[in-house]
Amino acid sequence: MLHNIGENTNYLSQTIIYLLAVIGCWKIFVKCGVKPFWAIIPFAREYHLGLCADREEDGRRYAILSVITNVIGGFSGLFKTDDIRVTATLLILLLIFIIPTMIYEFRVYMGLIAMFGRSKKWILLFVFFEAPTIFAWGMLKRFVPKRKVTDYAGLTEAKTLDEDVSHDDDGLTVNINERTAIDFFKRKVLLKDIHMSIPKGHMVLLLGGSGAGKTTYLNAVTGYEKANASIKLGNDDVYKDYSKMLYDIGFVPQQDLMRGNDTVALTLSDAATLRLPSSVHLFDRMKRVNEVLEQFGLTAVKNNLVEKLSGGQRKRLSIAMEFISDPSLFILDEPDSGLDGVVARGLFEKLRAIADEGKIVIVITHTPDRVIDLFDDVIVLAKDAKRTGRLAWYGPVKEAYEFFGKSTMEEILLSINQKEEGGEGRADEFVEKFADYMKERVG
Amino acid sequence: MSTENMASTKKVKHPGRFSQTFIYLGKLFRMFLFQNDWKVLPMAAIISGLVAFVVGGNLYKTMEGTMTGAFALACVCIWNGFFNSIQVICRERPIVKREHRSGLHVSSYVAAHMIYQAFLCAAQAAITLFVCINLKVTIPGESLITRWPVVDIGITLFLVTYCADMLALLVSSIARTTTAAMTVMPFLLIVQLLFSGGFFNLPQQAMPLTNLTATKWGLTALCIQGDYNSLPMVSIWNSAVKLKNVEVEGEKPLLEVLSYIEENNRRDELLMMSAQQNQKPEYTFDKSLLIECWIWLAFWTIVYIVVAVVLLEFIDKDKR
Repeated sequence: MLHNIGENTNYLSQTIIYLLAVIGCWKIFVKCGVKPFWAIIPFAREYHLGLCADREEDGRRYAILSVITNVIGGFSGLFKTDDIRVTATLLILLLIFIIPTMIYEFRVYMGLIAMFGRSKKWILLFVFFEAPTIFAWGMLKRFVPKRKVTDYAGLTEAKTLDEDVSHDDDGLTVNINERTAIDFFKRKVLLKDIHMSIPKGHMVLLLGGSGAGKTTYLNAVTGYEKANASIKLGNDDVYKDYSKMLYDIGFVPQQDLMRGNDTVALTLSDAATLRLPSSVHLFDRMKRVNEVLEQFGLTAVKNNLVEKLSGGQRKRLSIAMEFISDPSLFILDEPDSGLDGVVARGLFEKLRAIADEGKIVIVITHTPDRVIDLFDDVIVLAKDAKRTGRLAWYGPVKEAYEFFGKSTMEEILLSINQKEEGGEGRADEFVEKFADYMKERVG
Repeated sequence: MSTENMASTKKVKHPGRFSQTFIYLGKLFRMFLFQNDWKVLPMAAIISGLVAFVVGGNLYKTMEGTMTGAFALACVCIWNGFFNSIQVICRERPIVKREHRSGLHVSSYVAAHMIYQAFLCAAQAAITLFVCINLKVTIPGESLITRWPVVDIGITLFLVTYCADMLALLVSSIARTTTAAMTVMPFLLIVQLLFSGGFFNLPQQAMPLTNLTATKWGLTALCIQGDYNSLPMVSIWNSAVKLKNVEVEGEKPLLEVLSYIEENNRRDELLMMSAQQNQKPEYTFDKSLLIECWIWLAFWTIVYIVVAVVLLEFIDKDKR
């Protein structure tokens, strides 16, 4: 009988603790702008607490680990055995997952404390008296978050063009309807409604704030990460003929990804062997290597190890590795990062010379104004209200200044950046304005 | 060839897997010279020297010495194999990702590593044998596969090293950073040592797990090649000698028995009798058993390679 009373008390206290936590979370979610019914659903509750704490990734891991820990815990409860080995194995498994669960729980609560602007000492109460603390934070009006969780899905998106641009026989025709990604069961639209036709021989600046989708756009254009889109380079479909187009598109990443302990000449020679057609004779290949070494001013250091090169030389080698196959479309992700003004200018002049050979050169740079005279066009990508990358402008540089009513590229960038990023938050305005502008042009 | 000509032919055919393998093989051998990869060879000499010095004395002389020595040799191979390749892919993962984007075949890249690592492992096995022979470690007098016992032992050492090497290559292809790879390595090493199946006594339920380790097959192969079951067992004799002065009712019966055996020159006979009670059928000096060990080692090597290739094919999914 005594035993039964003890068990009943235990169940009762567990139920009270559970209810306190659920009610507390419900109220906290209301305060943070999260749908409160998530408080009832175990594990989803942990994830949404992470959202409230502005620590989505931690919340996600906390939720997943909580599921695993509970499954193992439930399993050990169901299969009680006297076999010490089974018990020990389950105990070790439980320990393996409980430790990270506690760590992520700790991180989520630290985030929540920061978001509510409270002292870090609260963490002790969250750790030792979790349910009553959550309940108190939910019920008491003085616990208010600094900002609410934005539900981007509920916002109205900026006007779309929804019309493909006509195909250019010589240039690059981009018609991206949508580029989506699934992230923790949620569908996110990364890019939407981007249409343009870039003529050959043009050097194009790709401008956009952090998270506007510049790299996603480039990956979609090159076919590296396919989108719901049609990308044509000349008459070739980049997506359908990806294995062929691979060699006709040069992509220079931001970092100098080369083996430091190889020589410049051998690095370029290997790149040539990999990228040039098999039919190219060894003699012609070496001739091409020497031409490119000369073109990029690397002949004098061709026998040096890559790790001994200066920042500018290394960047030029990185570009030369892609240029060796003579691509029609040449894309560079921040080629001037870490370079001083003079060296960067020299590098961009080389890129201008490449464009003048009839190539299309697309460049991302965070310091465009020092070299803007070398560009023909500018693509401006902006995050709209739903945090989707949208096209706010594509066209000549001078017209871009008029369109945005600004005199520098940095000012344009500021105008489209969100307010919380220190910008003017006018992205949607320009996205819609450009859609109207394009509709007029496309007819 | 002019640029225009190249442009017209560039969509024709590009280097296939075979050509790419040779390009990367060239890179790896250059790294061997310039990036100090050669240091694994003198390291192998030092490690095998230490092991031969400590446990080589009784290898292939007694059952216990053979078990300890063979286990230590298998551990040397595992150690060498792990250190050869634990960092090779993860340290240049972003470069591989870039090259994959530019047309690199992952299978060629891994094949180049396989060939290069085979060269390293073969050299390390040869060095280990050379050191052991020079430190007067006994080498079995009879062979099972080739005409030369030393070659048979060399093949076993190579296969164990290569199997461990490919396991480390797999870890290196999973790990995003060298730190992650180096964190996992000691854990794998402990599993390899604990689950060798011969040296540490494991519960019967855990025995199937030993089939997963290269140490088990290496240890078994080395014991088979040394004709473990024909060797004397000395531990009982040694224990008895330690207990010789134990008195029972004022007398020392063990001392008397031991003296009797010594005086009648029957010690070796007793050692062999003791050994007969402890023979292990899996260590029988038998060609088919040795081949089975080699097949298991080759099997795991292939499994590790295939998994590494499959996982590396997803390198594009790495977060930016």
